[in-house]
Amino acid sequence: MIEVKNLNQSYTKHGKKKTLENINLTVKEKAITALIGPNGAGKSTLLGVTANLIKPLSGMVMINGIDVRNIKTDELAKKLAILKQTHNINIRITVKDLVEFGRFPHCGGRLTDIDKQKVKESLEYMNLAGMEERYLDELSGGQRQRAFIAMILAQDTPYIFLDEPLNNLDIKSSVEMMKIIKSLVTELDKTIVVVLHDINFASAYADYIVAMKNGRIAGEGSMEEMITKEVLDEVFDHDFNIVTHQGRNVCLYFDRTFNRRKIYEVI
Amino acid sequence: MHKQAILREKRTVIIFAILAVLLVVSVLLYIYSRTYAKALRLNIVMDKSAFSSIMGRTIPALIGMGAAAVLIAVVSLAFQTITGSRILTPSMIGFDSVFVGTQTVLVFLFSSMSKAFTNPYLNYLIVAGTMVTVSMMMYGSILRSNKNNLVFLLMFGLILSGIVRSGSTYLQVIMDVNDFNQVRAATSVTVNNMNTKIIFIALPLMVAVISIMLARHKIYDVMSLGPDNAKSLGIPYEKEMKFSLFLISVGMSVATALIGSLAFLGLLAVNIARELLKTYKHVYLFIGSAGLAALALIAGQAVVELLQGAVPVTVIIDLIGCSYMFYLILKENRV
Repeated sequence: MIEVKNLNQSYTKHGKKKTLENINLTVKEKAITALIGPNGAGKSTLLGVTANLIKPLSGMVMINGIDVRNIKTDELAKKLAILKQTHNINIRITVKDLVEFGRFPHCGGRLTDIDKQKVKESLEYMNLAGMEERYLDELSGGQRQRAFIAMILAQDTPYIFLDEPLNNLDIKSSVEMMKIIKSLVTELDKTIVVVLHDINFASAYADYIVAMKNGRIAGEGSMEEMITKEVLDEVFDHDFNIVTHQGRNVCLYFDRTFNRRKIYEVI
Repeated sequence: MHKQAILREKRTVIIFAILAVLLVVSVLLYIYSRTYAKALRLNIVMDKSAFSSIMGRTIPALIGMGAAAVLIAVVSLAFQTITGSRILTPSMIGFDSVFVGTQTVLVFLFSSMSKAFTNPYLNYLIVAGTMVTVSMMMYGSILRSNKNNLVFLLMFGLILSGIVRSGSTYLQVIMDVNDFNQVRAATSVTVNNMNTKIIFIALPLMVAVISIMLARHKIYDVMSLGPDNAKSLGIPYEKEMKFSLFLISVGMSVATALIGSLAFLGLLAVNIARELLKTYKHVYLFIGSAGLAALALIAGQAVVELLQGAVPVTVIIDLIGCSYMFYLILKENRV
């Protein structure tokens, strides 16, 4: 179980401008938790601090009742894996080699038969069989993203954090990616926290939604509680229309009433 | 195993074999250039005693060159991995200028007759200590604020080396003429004029730095995925980075004190190794770039000796390295 307690974080040393303010959160086990919110709300920072990539200003993160700061980095890597949004690595590497890195916390780079088996399984799970020897820069955006998820999967951690996994993916690849993420929960019992920009993907696939604004949690709850006009208008400062389709709330957020004078007034 | 993977492995083995042969040939060529070629030129018969007396000077020179070249290559590769760049080398954050600066200040404060300057071991320890302290202070102050801003670090290093260089030039201008000559002699160590006095302290340090880095090649592999991925895979990134920078400082201080500044050797060797081996694996890259660096230095020096030393080998390496760096910068900008 991951609990975040009274977390504060800021970019300046004395914490005048806070990027996270008094965050308290308990991550739902064996479910997809989606973090939504406008740009600069602190979603990626919260993910980074929770995964111990960034040290918090104050507060703490507990994994199974132990403070993450007291867990050794290599032990933590067996419990929690995080994939950040930008992975423009500047080395030429094959898919298989990348996925084998996922076993590093377990074997320190010396792969045993069990490790090789895990790598094979992850590759197959992510539909990358037959592409093992291809170089990452030869792949499409969706395939490359799948290769990175396969690495995370090979790491074999109960907790997986994904920072905007749909970034730069087309609609088909995005849907495929969300289906895979969903199956990680239903088939492999993973606990997943994912930062999503598209609210409709959160609505369609997430079991629990946490909305953030200005470094605070603006609300949390199930899809029915969160994807409502009242909540989203407040979080995104925007006029939403919510419709229901196949039992899921879908947001329509485009604004067709073009009123140039209004825009001028705003400027 | 997959067919392509086997082919790649074969290629690596062949490249290493060629490299080894070339290295042996260049070592033999170097020995030949200093003995028989010289004898031929001066019309002297090369007898056994003359040969062994020349070898007595040639072998330390060979060891010094080889060790320094290997060290520079290994350290440069590690530095490129932790900075995530293919163009940066440690010389760029002002390592060699700190060396010159420390020597100058030592002589300026205590004169060229003092123990701190005349005793090679004490002198080396002071200089190396200063280099390590200055660089660690730089990293410490920049990394402590929780920003891994290496661009800032490099800019800081560039400015620091500028200040130190002009400061030491100033001190050299106003100091005693005799002291000035001594400083010049001590700071213009080159391949021809190696500071072999410190080889007994330099060699163990070199071996230590090289073997620690080689032993950690798997960690460097993971670090080449970038800080976030490396941390997610359980590497304590900040700690590893500081430790690597410490090793790099020690290594650079040894190499600079032993054979002077070779600004472009590391860049050249590491990048050619990358191009040839086409791998990210540090085991191969460490060995490949070390071999290439030693080859460039020893073969270059052998050719220079054969041509009767018209141009120092460092000038040739810097010339090629400099043009190669321009090529790299232009290539990276085009993409």
